[in-house]
Amino acid sequence: MSERPSLWWIDWRLSRRSVVREAIGRFLFLCLLGFVFLSLVLSGGVSRLLADRYAMTAVLRAEVPSAEAEGLARKVAALPPVRSAAYRDPEAAWKEFLRAYPGLDPLRGVGGNPLPGYIEIRFRPDRLTGADVDLVTSALRSVSLVDQVLAGGEGLPRLLRAGRLASRVCWGIFGAFLAGFFLFGRLQERARAVVLAGDFTFLAERGVPAGRLAVLRAAGAAVSGFLLAAAGTAAGGGALFLSLRTFPFLKVVIGPPSDLLLPRTVAAAVLFSLGAALLSSSASLLGWRAARSGRK
Amino acid sequence: MIEGFRLGVFSRGATLWDGLDFAFGDAAVGFVAGPPSSGKTLLLSLLRGERRPDAGDVVVSGESLYRGNPSLARAWRASCGYVPEQRVADAGLTVGDLFRRSALAGGGVRESERKDRTDRLLEMVGLPGSLTWRIAELSISERARAFLAAELLRGPKVLFCDGLVAGAGVPFREMLWGLFRALAREGNTVILAERRIPERWALAAGFPESVGPFRVYRLPGPAAEAKGEPG
Repeated sequence: MSERPSLWWIDWRLSRRSVVREAIGRFLFLCLLGFVFLSLVLSGGVSRLLADRYAMTAVLRAEVPSAEAEGLARKVAALPPVRSAAYRDPEAAWKEFLRAYPGLDPLRGVGGNPLPGYIEIRFRPDRLTGADVDLVTSALRSVSLVDQVLAGGEGLPRLLRAGRLASRVCWGIFGAFLAGFFLFGRLQERARAVVLAGDFTFLAERGVPAGRLAVLRAAGAAVSGFLLAAAGTAAGGGALFLSLRTFPFLKVVIGPPSDLLLPRTVAAAVLFSLGAALLSSSASLLGWRAARSGRK
Repeated sequence: MIEGFRLGVFSRGATLWDGLDFAFGDAAVGFVAGPPSSGKTLLLSLLRGERRPDAGDVVVSGESLYRGNPSLARAWRASCGYVPEQRVADAGLTVGDLFRRSALAGGGVRESERKDRTDRLLEMVGLPGSLTWRIAELSISERARAFLAAELLRGPKVLFCDGLVAGAGVPFREMLWGLFRALAREGNTVILAERRIPERWALAAGFPESVGPFRVYRLPGPAAEAKGEPG
């Protein structure tokens, strides 16, 4: 009976009902946060949407052999910022033109197909930046087969800036939710510390250091916060997976469901869980301090 | 041995008492009687290492509680049990909660052992089957006995009781007398603070020592009692 008392999960031992109630609330909150977080990680804010909509066009000179053009497309596709580079021969270009502008068939009758072949280049969502666009543009301009590079001109920087701003707004909203989670947790921790104040005083009077109690409570909050966040993110990820399968149009904005299992997505989820653990332990310490100062 | 040297307390803008010396031997029952507002609760908190005296020092087994190693003071507090006079703050708890909390403070007690000891202790203090009762619903006597039983769960080496004898009531005095005697026989120390000592206990204890506003009695140990148990 004279052993040093174990203070791990002391709140759980003293007040199981309230701990379970709070854990359920936090889990639901973290499910929502996990859903939003994974959506943002996969979409990069609006980066994926922009990358889906934006395409650079490298117009080739007339009479470039198909084999050379395809070889060039493969080389362009190998550039780090490039997601895909597809060669369209003059015939395919003409068909696309007619689909866009029906009724202009007579143009071909005068002097054959007036359109050259081209390479359509699409960027990776995370590499659609001014610097990367310039990199690919300058690489293409130095190739003799390329006649012109259509990269969006002066409108592109504005578009990229707007995209960055929209992404920041998205992350800002997520940050506000995260701050809400922290404040919610702090209030819960404070309320619980007030309710258990009598027990903590009892333990302090019997030689249990208050500092040790606070630190171990915070450590317990960190562990439970991590586990709840991991479970919440997994549940949120499952909901996102089902949403992407049910509503395919979301793939354009968020990405394919398979991206949820990419190592970088999993790493981001682990980081998010660690962040939630840190917030939970901070909320525990601050709630404890507030409860103690309020008691004086 | 618990000793207080030249203890002084400044409270409510005035000196409550100063220069008091106390000594409580091991495996004995000490009884401090004093009038209302004389600082009995305060004295117990000084002796438990809870509140630093404004003058003097408390020494336990040769080590100062307030000027020595803080870990020693913590270890001392961990070895103490305390039954407070005011038991209103825990009114929302159940009797079972008191035992759970006490077991937490003790540490290293198995669940089955806790349940077994809890049942025996509650039976001993006349509250069998009261685990689910709320403290708010208990009488003053029942509260006092429930708190005592919960403290005994940890098997404290030194037990401080503030107003316990008066709180428990006349019908339980003999039970308490027997309990304190048994605790002392097992090598524990009991220190009681009350407004007045029951007459029979005073007779058994003999002449008290006057220390400031207090009268300190040494209740007879088991050996001495064989000669003349209060009854």
